[in-house]
Amino acid sequence: MTHHEVEKYRKPVRVLHWIHSGAFVLLFLTGLVLFIPQLGFLAEDSWTRLIHRIGAAIFVIIPIIYLIINPKSVCRGLKEAFTWSSEDMGWLKAAPRYYFVIGDERDMPPQEAMNTGQKMWWFMVLVFGVIFVITGAVMWFAKTSAPPAVLQWMVFIHDVCFIATGCMFFVHIYTGVFHPLMTEAWNSITGGKVSVEYARKHHGKWYAEVSKGKKEA
Amino acid sequence: MAEKAILYDATRCTACRGCQVACKQWNENDEYIPTEENGVDSRNWGSYENPPDLSPTTWLKMEFREVEPSDGSVRWLFTRRACMHCTDAACVQVCPNGSLYHHELGFVAYNKDTCTGCGYCIDACPFDVPRSDRNILTGIAKMDKCTFCTTQGLDRIDAGWEPACVKTCPTGALKYGERSDLVAEGKKRVQELKKKGWTNANLYGENELGGLHVLYVLDDSPEIYGLPVSPQIPAATIAWKDVIQPVGWAVGGLTIAGLGLNWLVARANVKKEEK
Repeated sequence: MTHHEVEKYRKPVRVLHWIHSGAFVLLFLTGLVLFIPQLGFLAEDSWTRLIHRIGAAIFVIIPIIYLIINPKSVCRGLKEAFTWSSEDMGWLKAAPRYYFVIGDERDMPPQEAMNTGQKMWWFMVLVFGVIFVITGAVMWFAKTSAPPAVLQWMVFIHDVCFIATGCMFFVHIYTGVFHPLMTEAWNSITGGKVSVEYARKHHGKWYAEVSKGKKEA
Repeated sequence: MAEKAILYDATRCTACRGCQVACKQWNENDEYIPTEENGVDSRNWGSYENPPDLSPTTWLKMEFREVEPSDGSVRWLFTRRACMHCTDAACVQVCPNGSLYHHELGFVAYNKDTCTGCGYCIDACPFDVPRSDRNILTGIAKMDKCTFCTTQGLDRIDAGWEPACVKTCPTGALKYGERSDLVAEGKKRVQELKKKGWTNANLYGENELGGLHVLYVLDDSPEIYGLPVSPQIPAATIAWKDVIQPVGWAVGGLTIAGLGLNWLVARANVKKEEK
């Protein structure tokens, strides 16, 4: 069987994705121990806080390094996250049927490199990521100087973000790895490539552009 | 079991600070070293009050206040500052792993070994009592506050003794006993004071936050003594504990259940299609 493949994610993006998600998992787990009383014993003697801070430093520094190395890619990404059209509405309407009943893709408007669902997650990562960092920085550096009420509301906001992104994180892993139709999402973020059939089916608009620019693929 | 409490009669206190010293001595809290990180600097700041604030090793301190009533006189008032051992204790509510808990005799005890150093109790306390030694960079910290002399290995209450501060008080301003007895005694004292012309005399702590386990006999309003008139559990504590935590469980649970359901349905449909 011959494989016609097309590159979906370039290496720097993949490295960014995995280091950043690794930091997120670390932060998620070391935050969870303060959220679930039954896990509180793991946080004794503040060690999870130390790990949380190391994770936080990676979480902040890695995207900054990426921004310095590849500002164009970041601009493109930001633009994508904030560009919403009627096609996204169409996708959202068709999504429940598509994901549950395995409806055919014809119901769904052709998608860019990121479909609406991915774009929602990307948007959340950006917005909540920034809120995480701001509220976390206050709790880290102003713990002994900020008014107690401010610190309490920082915890509150941090936890709202935690619940929202935590749940969407499950959805992200599920759709990327476990959902029966997303056969190549995992390949795209590990090896960087997807098959032409998959690209055409799942990211039609993007594939059309790619194939126009390049004869191969 | 019946609840125990401390009754502090501000009108009998001479601010000798014997309680402060006894507290430090019994609980092996050496004087706070000002050069340490987050240390409380004990420089001269124009008051007999010393040290200037509570700290991880100062669980009890006497506050001095100069008040000028309208008649031109000056009053020198003393307030005992230490954990109030609330029944509705915000610190117990926010503690993520139950390190802070209610002792069977009603007051708020804690297990320092299991403390995570999150500092939520410090931010939630309506009386601004808990303190911690915190490394700002690493976040490694432990909370400390008055333990009602129940510190492990130094448990006076368990031994059937009264707390060190009460034991040492020379004027009888501090008393220890059954909470109900002390409430009655405090009320009696307030009536006496009222008869003597202290019309604002009151017993502080009987009903505040479900009942404090440190009661105050005051000859004037709590404000004058630097105490919050109506202490409340902060709104952020309630929002976090009673709203955000249950919501987190519900949303997280629904998400996982939804994904599980999706997987079962989608897989069944894929198989059907394959056939």
